[in-house]
Amino acid sequence: MERTVVKIENLVKRYGDLVALDHLSLDIQEGEVFGLLGPNGSGKTTTINCLLSLLSFDKGNIEIFGKKMTPVSYDIKKEIGVIMQNVAVFKELTVYENIDYFCGLYITDKVKRKQYVEEAVSFVGLEDFLKFHPKKLSGGLLRRLNIACGIAHKPRLIILDEPTVAVDPQSRNKILEGIAELNRNGATIIYTSHYMEEVEQLCTRIAIMDKGYKIAEGTKDELKRMIKNTETVSIEILGLSPETRAQIAALPHVYNTAYDGEKLTVYCSGGKHNLIRILDILQKQDLSFGRVYSELPTLNDVFLEITGKALRDKED
Amino acid sequence: MFLHNFKYELLSSLRTKDMIFWLMIFPIILGTLFKIAFADIYEKTTAFSSIPTAVVEVQENEIFHSVIETLEEEEDPLLSVTYTDEEDALKLLQSGEVEGIIYLDGTLSLTVAEEGMEETILKSFVEQYTVQNKIIIDTAASAQDPTQAKAVIAALSEEISTCTDIPLTDGNPDNMVQYFYNLIAMVALYGAITGLHVTINAQANLSALGARKTCSPTPKSVSLTAGLLGSYLIQTLCMVICVTFIAFILKVNLGSRLPLVYLAAILGGITGVSLGFFVGALNLFRVELKMGISIAVIMLLCFLSGLMVGNMKAIIAQKMPWFNKINPAAVISDSFYCLNIDSGYDRFIQKIITMLIISVTFTALGVLVTRRKKYASL
Repeated sequence: MERTVVKIENLVKRYGDLVALDHLSLDIQEGEVFGLLGPNGSGKTTTINCLLSLLSFDKGNIEIFGKKMTPVSYDIKKEIGVIMQNVAVFKELTVYENIDYFCGLYITDKVKRKQYVEEAVSFVGLEDFLKFHPKKLSGGLLRRLNIACGIAHKPRLIILDEPTVAVDPQSRNKILEGIAELNRNGATIIYTSHYMEEVEQLCTRIAIMDKGYKIAEGTKDELKRMIKNTETVSIEILGLSPETRAQIAALPHVYNTAYDGEKLTVYCSGGKHNLIRILDILQKQDLSFGRVYSELPTLNDVFLEITGKALRDKED
Repeated sequence: MFLHNFKYELLSSLRTKDMIFWLMIFPIILGTLFKIAFADIYEKTTAFSSIPTAVVEVQENEIFHSVIETLEEEEDPLLSVTYTDEEDALKLLQSGEVEGIIYLDGTLSLTVAEEGMEETILKSFVEQYTVQNKIIIDTAASAQDPTQAKAVIAALSEEISTCTDIPLTDGNPDNMVQYFYNLIAMVALYGAITGLHVTINAQANLSALGARKTCSPTPKSVSLTAGLLGSYLIQTLCMVICVTFIAFILKVNLGSRLPLVYLAAILGGITGVSLGFFVGALNLFRVELKMGISIAVIMLLCFLSGLMVGNMKAIIAQKMPWFNKINPAAVISDSFYCLNIDSGYDRFIQKIITMLIISVTFTALGVLVTRRKKYASL
């Protein structure tokens, strides 16, 4: 039987006139990897800060492990591991000392703590950097240290707020594999990101946020089923006539087309063999074309269709 | 839990480079520069050297010879005399090798090239010699009883003073020591840097580290107490190093009550930490700005207590006497001054109580601000 680990009800948070969270409600079950996906400024970090009782909020209720979360809920805090968006370690302490410090805030038994710290070091692969100070570490290694500090005490609930920002692909893969392993070991994970690929790869359930609203929630398949688009066909082609484009647009299951002079994009809703039908029209008119590819919808398409804008900023 | 926090707060502070610079290296450099600079000033203003003088003996004068011989037997002779002819004497005067020429031809006459302290002393010497010489000769000539003449001569030679010097204390009366008091006060107030670190590292709205700590099951009271005690300990260490360096390496005489100087310095350091703790807790400026503002305010307080300009405290005492009583830099340096100058302890105890009040007030205000559990924004 599933148990609710985190329950957020009608959470409202305002910064002056700006509504940062607008009646947000979430239920996160034990053993889930729950993703909070949204562009920068959508309210993901505000949600996490309210959840951790760092931020006051105007309305709503937050329960963790069935108990109301307050700043002095030390019994609840003991069970939570936090990996902040900004790396939060002592610059003056070494890698080992930092992990030992944070682990020691939760675990008082010295023998147990030593074992936990060594396991955390090994888990993030920092064995060769134990005596390094944070400023000597690369961005990826620093993020791994940040994670080790957050998970060393073996928490039941782990909250990761954009843990892979500014991380190289190798470290990112290592981090994502590590998070999946933590989940396999029994931890419930809350993962915020604006990288849809990560969320798709990692999360069992996802809430998409925009401007403080939860605009959709479900598994990735459920989310994709919410939108009209089921397939997007792209063809590199020059000199496509308006008549041919109209012919393609008139095909069954095609609900929209776009052409920029070099690439034709055809949006389909349901149906099979859409690509074959489109190519058949082009071949009959003896039109030559370049690369052809068909894509299934992504979470970005879900976001695009619901909000009318792309999920990720161009600079991301 | 507390010891774990304390250990790492201490370790972290001890390895903070800007703290080490401002609290240990900077005062050592400044103290050494003070010592070098003041030694030079002392040489120029206080140390006396004999006045080089040429004597042109037109007519032989045995009495003058014997007076000069007597003077030259003293530890710091008033004159350094060169007997020569007039031509050479003028050359020496023009080249600046002597300050004046004394002509001996029955009476004494003086020729100088310019006006100054040495020339004034020479003039005074010549006048005094002439007057006393005349009194002695006249007395000897008019006295019927030669023993009366001896008595007059003895009376003229005697130094009579109507004042008696009674030292107020065994302390160091040198004004320059005030600069070292102000230097120690400045180091004490630099404790504000360690105090700032305590609040910055504990407040969720000031640093990521503060936010991360707040998420842990360690109560803020434990984390803050560990941080504050760690800072007090480091500041105490810095004050002991500073006073020891000034007293034993630079060999500046800080008075005869050195243990109390250490006590006042340590308490001053705690005042500094408390000041930083309070400033850090205020949610008015960015973290980087807080550090800059703190250093600037400390320098200003030290300036107003006379660190850069010796008589500044006297000026403040005239214009705003109340300010010297609450300016922590002035209170700390005054506590050293009281120990050095006063034979009693009343004023010293008054300064110590003032430091305690400032420390408790700032710490209490800092705790009041930081005890907040949630923040409206991060």
